Amino acid sequence: MRRLQVSGLSTDKDHVSIWQVAKAVLSAFMGIRKKSDLEHDAATLKPMHVIIGGIIGGLLFVIGVFSVVKLVIS
Amino acid sequence: MAAVHGDAHGHEHDDHHPSGIMRWITTTNHKDIGTMYLWFSFAMFMVGGTLAMGIRAELYQPGIQILEPELFNQFTTLHGLIMVFGAIMPAFVGFANWQVPMMIGAPDMAFARMNNWSFWLLPVAATLLVGSFFVPGGAAAGGWTFYPPLSTQGGLGVDLMIFSVHILGASSIMGSINIITTILNMRAPGMTLMKMPMFVWTWLITAYLLVLVMPVLAGVVTMLLTDRHFGTSFFNAAGGGDPVMFQHIFWFFGHPEVYIMILPSFGIVSEVIPTFSRKPLFGYSSMVYATASIAILSCVVWAHHMFTAGMPTVGQLFFMYATMLIAVPTAVKVFNWTATMWRGSMSFETPMLFSIGFIFLFVIGGFSGVICAIVPIDIQVQDTYYVIAHFHYVLVSGSLFALFAGAYYWIPKWTGRMYNETLGKWHFWLSMFFFNLTFFVQHFLGLAGMPRRIPDYNLQFADFNMISSLGAFGFGLTQLLFLYIMISCIRSGDKAPQKPWDGATTLEWTHLPTPAPYHSFEKPPIVK
Repeated sequence: MRRLQVSGLSTDKDHVSIWQVAKAVLSAFMGIRKKSDLEHDAATLKPMHVIIGGIIGGLLFVIGVFSVVKLVIS
Repeated sequence: MAAVHGDAHGHEHDDHHPSGIMRWITTTNHKDIGTMYLWFSFAMFMVGGTLAMGIRAELYQPGIQILEPELFNQFTTLHGLIMVFGAIMPAFVGFANWQVPMMIGAPDMAFARMNNWSFWLLPVAATLLVGSFFVPGGAAAGGWTFYPPLSTQGGLGVDLMIFSVHILGASSIMGSINIITTILNMRAPGMTLMKMPMFVWTWLITAYLLVLVMPVLAGVVTMLLTDRHFGTSFFNAAGGGDPVMFQHIFWFFGHPEVYIMILPSFGIVSEVIPTFSRKPLFGYSSMVYATASIAILSCVVWAHHMFTAGMPTVGQLFFMYATMLIAVPTAVKVFNWTATMWRGSMSFETPMLFSIGFIFLFVIGGFSGVICAIVPIDIQVQDTYYVIAHFHYVLVSGSLFALFAGAYYWIPKWTGRMYNETLGKWHFWLSMFFFNLTFFVQHFLGLAGMPRRIPDYNLQFADFNMISSLGAFGFGLTQLLFLYIMISCIRSGDKAPQKPWDGATTLEWTHLPTPAPYHSFEKPPIVK
């Protein structure tokens, strides 16, 4: 990804891997996160990353529960 | 919580404002509007409570004594609607109006005139709702969930209820947009999202839920209206419609609504417990995460309200599993509150008592919720008093107790006066005793098979009903004590110290005088 230039200031917020967003969202679903990881997230993740990650996570959750149900009744 | 640096008493206050009735009609001040919301919700709480007293008086003994069955059904319907839409929800909006700007260092709400309009819609809606008792045919009588076909067959009272719900929904949506905009755009410099007090976080998430689901409610009541008057057949099987579709749409609103009524309570309790434990909130970020998770999950569990309406096994299992998984983030919260208290320098003033009572009883309500989520059990207890007991443990000892905790906690900041601590403790212990007397026995009634929404019952239910009714009368009278405590605090309470709670760390306590001035944070504080 390209570096963002905002008001002449560069930001590292666009250097975010999908894996980092996934970890943040998954730990949010569990409600447990190491403090150092959290601070790293807060410094690097943008709200939009987390919101999109959360929606995808919610969809995966629904698909996951649905798969378990299918497995149980098959 | 965030460390704050700045001038605690440097506000140049310009406290003049219109006086008399016009102050309240024309006000755009978040504190005035918050006060009106709180008084309105208390008035509605009294109306809804009076209906509850009528219900419990009728159920005191088997047989029909004082309410005809038709009127009894109107009482149960309006009790639910008034308590949900008139008492609990506006009370939380009142807290948001007072507290959110002060807690984030903003001078007022983002849309001050819309704020006024949001409030003044409420008395109109309440008049329609309460007035519907006096129209031909009486008020809506199909239950607060107004399922068709009862709601498509009812009289004028149902139409008034539909319009009332429309207006209340519009008010809620405007209130939510206001809260979201205020929180996202008007925070003091340095108040990053992850430094916001928990109460502000819970309200931010609640406001998003409201914006998501209130239009769904508006849609479904509009469909009811067109079914009733304009020849559509959305919910009429004879015309090709489906009454079960109503239930799906209603509960797609209704289940997030449950969380709309409990998340701000979590926020209040998350402010009170650290203050009186003199420790920061344990696991602040996990609390934020858990709140967001609960909000997301709340949108995919709605059909657990309709297990008996007819559903394939796949659907039953999906909604059962998803519902049970909500217990995970909820448990995270309960563990965090407990861990906050662990080895804290605790003191037990009234707000803390109500918060601990909240945790204790909300957990009971949460567990009975997990029990109801299990399909084979739910099919047994569906529409019985077990469900009534479950949701009153969540909404009375959950939402209402948290509202009491918040009222005692912030009343010194709002009025500059202290409430009577001894009477406050009496209020808590009497509420605790009578609440459990009323609702704990209803679990037994439900398990024994007593259906809800009936004015008469078989003899074997008589003893527990009498106990429950006695508890309800006691609980109702105890709330008059709350009214007395609040009025005597406002009129003649002792002057509150600058910071009555030494463990409080949020901006309204550290940065504003007591009582809070009419205009606060005209110059934003710097949060570090």
